[in-house]
Amino acid sequence: MKGNPFVRAVLVLTVSIAVLAIAGRAPAAPPDQPLRVIMIGAHPDDCEFMGGGTAALWAKAGAKVQFVAVTNGDAGHQSQGGGALARRRAAEARRSAEYLGVDWITLDFHDGELVPSLEARKAVIRAIRRWQADIVFSPRPYDYHPDHRYTGQIVQDAAYMVAVPNVCPDTPRLEKNPVFMYFNDGFTKPYPFTPDVVVDVDPVMELKWQSIHSMESQMYEWIPWLDGTLSEVPASPAERLAWLKKSVGGWIGGWAGTHRKLLAERYGEAQAAGVKFAEAFELCEYGRQPGRDELWAIFPK
Amino acid sequence: MRVIMIGAHPDDSEYYAGGTVAMWAEAGVQVQIVAVTNGDAGHQSEGGGALARRRAAESRKSARILGVSWRTLDIRDGGVVPSIECREAVIRAIREWKADLVISHRPNDYHPDHRYTGQLMQDAAYLVSVPNICPDTPRLDHNPVFLFFLDEFKKPLHFRPDVAVDVTRGMDKKWRSMDAMDSQMYEWIPWMDERLKEVPRGKAERLEWLKNYLAPTFTRWTDMIRGALAERYGDIRAGQVEYAEAFELCEYGRQPSREELWELFPK
Repeated sequence: MKGNPFVRAVLVLTVSIAVLAIAGRAPAAPPDQPLRVIMIGAHPDDCEFMGGGTAALWAKAGAKVQFVAVTNGDAGHQSQGGGALARRRAAEARRSAEYLGVDWITLDFHDGELVPSLEARKAVIRAIRRWQADIVFSPRPYDYHPDHRYTGQIVQDAAYMVAVPNVCPDTPRLEKNPVFMYFNDGFTKPYPFTPDVVVDVDPVMELKWQSIHSMESQMYEWIPWLDGTLSEVPASPAERLAWLKKSVGGWIGGWAGTHRKLLAERYGEAQAAGVKFAEAFELCEYGRQPGRDELWAIFPK
Repeated sequence: MRVIMIGAHPDDSEYYAGGTVAMWAEAGVQVQIVAVTNGDAGHQSEGGGALARRRAAESRKSARILGVSWRTLDIRDGGVVPSIECREAVIRAIREWKADLVISHRPNDYHPDHRYTGQLMQDAAYLVSVPNICPDTPRLDHNPVFLFFLDEFKKPLHFRPDVAVDVTRGMDKKWRSMDAMDSQMYEWIPWMDERLKEVPRGKAERLEWLKNYLAPTFTRWTDMIRGALAERYGDIRAGQVEYAEAFELCEYGRQPSREELWELFPK
């Protein structure tokens, strides 16, 4: 029996339930427990793009991070689709998550069909509770893709409700409303993305590139096909990675410039000036509202 | 004048606007408070139909104190969505009350039921006067004035106090109307807030505790809208107001001038 992972899992579960019963409450992360982070994106590859570097830094520092793809991504290809594509993307996303040191799940909704239903809200509430998240990420409800906007809306609608025991009574409530954050976007209506924290992700940028590079169906097939650049994609993995860095580097490399002022506030002028890749996040009003110092202390630096 | 207040849960209208309601009722205005949900999730150890019935009984008691009518649309707590079914229930309620004034949450408040209730009210505006919508219930021959309760959220827009009401005269009834909701004021809300242990047993002590517990919030609201109070009451009185409530005009209903709007509210 020694080393049997199944037995270990059962033992851990039993102990947690015992603790829960004694304390009469779900085990919240005490100060000496690792921070628990859940990033909720609409598709397999959204969290990786918008928060992959921050996730990798957190994972290195011992935080427990889970990526959730609300949809299974089964519409994201020019010639493949359905369950076969969903399985391919799940395999890619799991490989990608290994580079970053994070856990990965999908809620398995159909790509392009997400609506802010009670069914979707409950799936998100359960995911946040199961991960016992201290901090939750999602797109703003103003991003370009309807699945992104509704993911933002659904996650907003899960805020507060994650703490209500009569909602999804099958899954123990969180004692505390977590902190909710939005991923960065470039939209300006009804109001522009307003960063509350920015993270220099240069130290882990190679891991972020590897994680994105793992998603071949997207990086080397679907996205370039939509962009009309499919014929440029090289054949060998090394050349592909170099091409990827060139083709999306401009987009994700622009964020450090956009948020240079906040980078300087957090890292000092000298370090901020040299940052090539950054990720920025905005605090959502519906979760716990930490002050700026506390918020900055939660994030990796 | 006929006013309908559409809160997401039994206790929302009382909490956000109980003082204004009490003053309206004393002035002979016909007010109905509507709870869109029956509140059947709002407790740490009770729930479902039994809790909904308990909260309805509490709300009726509370409404008697305020001198108003009360009903629920009986949607499940945590289950408000901007569906056609929910919208039609709201349209019928507004028509049945023949409302001149309709008040609900902004679609930016903290609870999804509040946000969607606000959206439903917005969606009912204009359609209450369209005869082919809910043809079983006679249309209103005028679009009422629609307003929002105060909240403290800033994104995408701050709450704007278009009318502020000094509710000093209505405050005693407001406190007692909330005191009638034991399941919320002395059980669920302090439990969620991890302050259940503080709640006293005696009737009088409880009310005193409730006042101390909620005073900081109500004071914060009052300070938030002191500028709007000054415009309506003058600087001197505005500076002395202990508790006030405020409302924002929704763009989708009838658009009265500021003078007319201020005339509609108690002063």
